[in-house]
Amino acid sequence: MASSEDRKVAEMSFWARLRKFPFWSWLWLFIGALYFVLPLFATFEFSLSWDPEDPLKAYQRAFEDDKFWETFIFSNVLAVATIIASVILVVPTAYWIRLRLPEARRVVEFITLMPFVVPAIILVFGLIRIYSTPFYVPFTDIRFMQPLTNFKIGTNILIVAGYMVLAMPYMYRSVDTGMRTVDIRTLTEAAQSLGANWYVIITRIILPNIRSALLSGALLTFAIVVGEVTLASFLGVDAFGPYLFLLGQHRAYEPAALSFVSFLLTWLAMGLIQMFTGGQGQAAGAH
Amino acid sequence: MAYLSLSNVTKQFGDVVVVDQFNLDMEKGEFVSFLGPSGCGKTTTLRMVAGFEVPSSGNITLDGKDITDKSPNQRNVGMIFQSYALFPNMTVAQNIGFGLRIRGDSSDKVRERVNEMLGLVHLEAHATKYPYQLSGGQQQRVSLARALAIRPDVLLLDEPLSALDAKIRVSLRAEIRAIQKRLGITAIFVTHDQEEALSISDRIVVMNVGEIEQVGTPFEIYNFPKTQFVANFVGALNTAEAEIADPSSGALSLDGIQLVTAAKTDGYRRGDKVRIAIRPERLGLASILEKANIVDGSIENITFLGSVVRIQVKIGNTNFNMDTFNNPFLGIPEVGDKAKITCSKEAILILGPV
Repeated sequence: MASSEDRKVAEMSFWARLRKFPFWSWLWLFIGALYFVLPLFATFEFSLSWDPEDPLKAYQRAFEDDKFWETFIFSNVLAVATIIASVILVVPTAYWIRLRLPEARRVVEFITLMPFVVPAIILVFGLIRIYSTPFYVPFTDIRFMQPLTNFKIGTNILIVAGYMVLAMPYMYRSVDTGMRTVDIRTLTEAAQSLGANWYVIITRIILPNIRSALLSGALLTFAIVVGEVTLASFLGVDAFGPYLFLLGQHRAYEPAALSFVSFLLTWLAMGLIQMFTGGQGQAAGAH
Repeated sequence: MAYLSLSNVTKQFGDVVVVDQFNLDMEKGEFVSFLGPSGCGKTTTLRMVAGFEVPSSGNITLDGKDITDKSPNQRNVGMIFQSYALFPNMTVAQNIGFGLRIRGDSSDKVRERVNEMLGLVHLEAHATKYPYQLSGGQQQRVSLARALAIRPDVLLLDEPLSALDAKIRVSLRAEIRAIQKRLGITAIFVTHDQEEALSISDRIVVMNVGEIEQVGTPFEIYNFPKTQFVANFVGALNTAEAEIADPSSGALSLDGIQLVTAAKTDGYRRGDKVRIAIRPERLGLASILEKANIVDGSIENITFLGSVVRIQVKIGNTNFNMDTFNNPFLGIPEVGDKAKITCSKEAILILGPV
């Protein structure tokens, strides 16, 4: 008697648990995951299908190419330069707007969204048009600089500046969101009352407290720069994006292998960010 | 010569005058509270002393030097904020030592001073913790230690206890006062809590709409308010309209009931209407002591407040609150009872003409 009642209760609790199971949520999550995972899996499978006896042949060929390493390393250097320049530009700007110029926030947000509206092709033609002519001292014929597009360092400066524009929406938003989680104004005033100048405040108080946001912005910038094709192609820079594009036009299996490797590198970077910022987010959040 | 002096300090934001002609001289080691409602200009005045706001006009001098235009990081002023403002990326010890490190003190000196400060606020066991691992009261004590570590000329406290619960607030304010006395540091404490200001200060500056209403010791502010605003803002108060019956003797008429006050009335003429004020605790039931004023009243309401019982009595046509200590062995009247109500003539203040 008692055991049948127990079984009844157990059955009821099973149906009650089933009713509580968020079936639709899991279904949508599954469909979403399929949407992302299936193409990746197809790319991976295709990259292994060059030679059934040597499935990693595409990877081997891709990595053996000197041009791959050359362009990949150069794009990484460009990405790091873009990240450093963006941090130097964006952090003080976002900080000052939060601290002293909140009324300028809408204007700056609008400016940072421009890269979504103006395509990269327009940006690069604008850059070439402006910087392919020599610079003169205003109102004179004195030339003080040759066109930036005429020499390698000049072109590299141009492309980093262009990448900064492309990455600005991501970097600015990440930094601004990071600053929203800490009480910038009060922390600044506390540091000032203890004798800190602006340099100390930004480097020792602000930057460490938005580290997580900075890393997110840096990762997005990195991803944009390493895969970017338009600016690099039109400025004639040997970067990883144009290399991958050319490879895709002439080869079949290596681009698939490199695309898959790019995904892995991105995930690795995200994992590293999680690892390095795990404790910091908690501290800032608690404040 | 005053140690800290604010002379004719005015602050305007656009057309709005937030602080108007503020004058105050403070002695070294003095603890002064700025007390007033929200928007009265007390925090703005404090921020001008800290250097976070620049006065529109007037001067601020500290130890004989004009600091009006000095930036906050050049003033050697310690500040404590309502929201603690501890640096989340630093431990307790690093927070306390921050000001010393950026001054370039050696690591030995910093360590020694940090340990001294940790001892002062009884947080030795928490040196390696991060702010989020501490309670609100502990965080504010770290903030106090951090502000004191740099040996500031003035300590500024901007509603430092407002975010804490009642018990911690009382114990921490006593701790702040004890430390301030021990170190002999000059301090300005901003609060809108009159009990806090009365309990902790050497002097209180009561402010309203950007102006000083009264400056005085807690005793003076509470017992001899100079304006109706101070009388109303500091402590509970009964106010009523009365008529001068005899200016030479201080006789008054309240709804036809005769009262007598010790306040000066010789500036008035017979028949002038004045506003009088009586603290609830200065009223009593008549049977105990003979007082100058004994009048008939009826009990309208009784509210139990713990250690105090607040009795609302109607005298003439006016309701007055009367506070008596709660003593369970002495009977308290019931609502509807008639009673003789008494107060001394010193208890009746005249706030001014109506």
